[in-house]
Amino acid sequence: MRRGPLLLTFLSGAAIAALFFIPHYKAQAANSMLLEWTLVVYAFALILGSISLWNSHARKVRDRAEGWGFSVVTLVSLLAITALGVWKGVGEGTPVDSIYNTVNSPLASTMFALLAFVIASAAFRAFRARSVEATLLLVTAIVMMIGRVSIGELISHRLPGITEWLLDVPNLAAKRAIAIGVGLGAVSTALKIILGIERSYLGRS
Amino acid sequence: MLRSGFVTPQFDTRWFDPARWNVLIGVLLFTVFLVVNIFRARAKGNLYVRPIAGLKALDEAIGRATEMGRPVLYVPGLSDMSEVGTFAAITICARLAHRVAEMGCDIDVPCYDPVVMTVLDGAVREAYSKAGKPDAFRPGCVHYVSAQQMAYVAAVNGFMLRELPAANIYMGSFYAESLLLAETGARTGAIQIAGTDKVTQLPFFVCACDYTLLGEELFAASAYLGREPIQLATVIAQDWAKALAAAAIVGALVLSALGNPALQTWLKVA
Amino acid sequence: MTWVRRLLAIDRRIIFLLVGVGAALPLLFPLNLPVAVSPRVKAAYDAIDALPPGSKVLLSMDYEPDIMAELFPMSVAVLRHCFRKHVQVIAMTLYPAGTGLGERAILTAAKAEGAVRNRDYAWLGYKSGFQVVMIGIGENLRGMYPVDFYGTRLDSIPVTRHVNSYAQLQMVINLSGSSAADYWIQFAQGRYHAPLVIGCTAVMATDYYPYLSSKQLLGLIGGMKGAAEYERLIDIFGDARRGMDAQSLVHVIVVGLVIVGNAALFISKRSGGDGGGPASGSMTR
Repeated sequence: MRRGPLLLTFLSGAAIAALFFIPHYKAQAANSMLLEWTLVVYAFALILGSISLWNSHARKVRDRAEGWGFSVVTLVSLLAITALGVWKGVGEGTPVDSIYNTVNSPLASTMFALLAFVIASAAFRAFRARSVEATLLLVTAIVMMIGRVSIGELISHRLPGITEWLLDVPNLAAKRAIAIGVGLGAVSTALKIILGIERSYLGRS
Repeated sequence: MLRSGFVTPQFDTRWFDPARWNVLIGVLLFTVFLVVNIFRARAKGNLYVRPIAGLKALDEAIGRATEMGRPVLYVPGLSDMSEVGTFAAITICARLAHRVAEMGCDIDVPCYDPVVMTVLDGAVREAYSKAGKPDAFRPGCVHYVSAQQMAYVAAVNGFMLRELPAANIYMGSFYAESLLLAETGARTGAIQIAGTDKVTQLPFFVCACDYTLLGEELFAASAYLGREPIQLATVIAQDWAKALAAAAIVGALVLSALGNPALQTWLKVA
Repeated sequence: MTWVRRLLAIDRRIIFLLVGVGAALPLLFPLNLPVAVSPRVKAAYDAIDALPPGSKVLLSMDYEPDIMAELFPMSVAVLRHCFRKHVQVIAMTLYPAGTGLGERAILTAAKAEGAVRNRDYAWLGYKSGFQVVMIGIGENLRGMYPVDFYGTRLDSIPVTRHVNSYAQLQMVINLSGSSAADYWIQFAQGRYHAPLVIGCTAVMATDYYPYLSSKQLLGLIGGMKGAAEYERLIDIFGDARRGMDAQSLVHVIVVGLVIVGNAALFISKRSGGDGGGPASGSMTR
């Protein structure tokens, strides 16, 4: 029963891999078409996602689970935004666009701004000299944090240069080494999937 | 010979780009390593891979969740099926769900992408079936949350603070939200294991999580957890390829220093 | 020593309060701290500065509101530089939520430098597809954008009239907080050999250093600091330089907290304590 999906995986994976080496304009046109198809698949998958979201929160409301009131808000918002989008469209100046700009965007920015606070909290907790590696991390982090901002320049004119060196040499060397490993790991995983060695993504047999 | 001249794409009628010989040879060599190690695995039965602390800790995490009667939270990353990291997350989730089913605790998998959600739902159901406990699968344990980064983070953080999972496992592709997730999880006292292929997020996970899988360890995790010989063979093939890459880099460096940049030029990807 | 234990386990809320005050104060009372210019940002500035008047650049602002703090000031600074040099800008975005931000950046810069729509810049707006759009621009710009954001046909706009693909552009500038930059490098620079300058978030900047070394990028502007350096180069005191004051103070606060924590740890261990409980973070395993 899995032969069909496995064969499809092999053919499509091998085709996309081959297209990397084939610059022929017809082959690249096929590549572009396949990329567009993924967008279509994603659009239909959004319907599945919406159904899952609905079921998840409807179950909480039905069972009067803790916090079910928030689930009501979610469900009402889901219906309202969908209805508004279908009725008035989603372009510039529409209600959906206004809601996005006045509610969604500020909320997203706020969540992102939380990073500043959690970084401070995480740094206070984690940068403790309990081992040699942790001490090295601690010292490097302090040098980087001070050297990368204007105050570093005031403390010493050498500090920005030191931080640039830390970024350019040890940091970049380690990143490149990890990136090579990640690249090879990705190739290995991709080959396993294309060749059918890894099949857990297929789900039920 | 090695660098293609610029050809206007719409008039390119070549069926092979000679500037990509290096990539083709690399891929073919990798495939040879894979085949050789698969044969070795079949002949020897068990191949040695070094222990990875983060993966050994998964059993500890599930055990902790079972004892405390609290769920395991599995976050499969914030990317779609086009990222290989997501595939790695799916395969790890399937194996983890099998152990969760065996141990009898609960798992919750909030998903960022609807396609990933569909695949994970099937994979987790399959895992419960293979463990002999299909009825223990809780419908809705794999659920879609949001395809917006910060909305997803807000929802998952809310779950962590309300449900207080005993173990938080982050596997897959993460971006700016990695520290938001990990720090909130640390606040709840959960044991945290993370693995990502996004190198820029590794420092945040290293600081906030108890165990972190660095880079390629994420891709080796599936083989490590399953212990199937063919899967282990792929890990060793990766190591051989890495050794070859290191040798090529050192060789190119030495030759360039001696005044011959041919190997360095040949290794560049067009 | 209970005060040592208290220091080791400071309530998170106190840390949050200190960071909040540290971020807010410099925004209310600017410190005007100096900003040292790094070679990478200087390279980006020099590349744009070297463009002769009348040159056309494609500026893709691929970010959404959550990272506008780093990339919006960068967009305004780059746009102002282009307008001052009388370089014509064709702007676009690959993110739906980036439309409002992109337009706001252009209008802000245009107002400051007296740039006029259609004569000095064209705003094409959002197009979905990522790689498909980048490849499409390489083959036929009008295939991707038959009209601009306001519905005007590209043939009617002086800035875009004679632009069909990357071949008619002197530079591509991408400001992005995501993998969009990788695709611009792969397609615009790799396939179509367009001269490319990248602006990105601070966390991503080091990912692109190899491309600078290999000359695939002409310059790199990283994060709010990069934006502040660019503002210094074009001699404006914008949001990035203002933000760097806040960032500087917050960094000092974080370093101070780390030093205090380690001092308390040291004292605790010397007096036979357990150092404040179990270690946290993977570095201690």
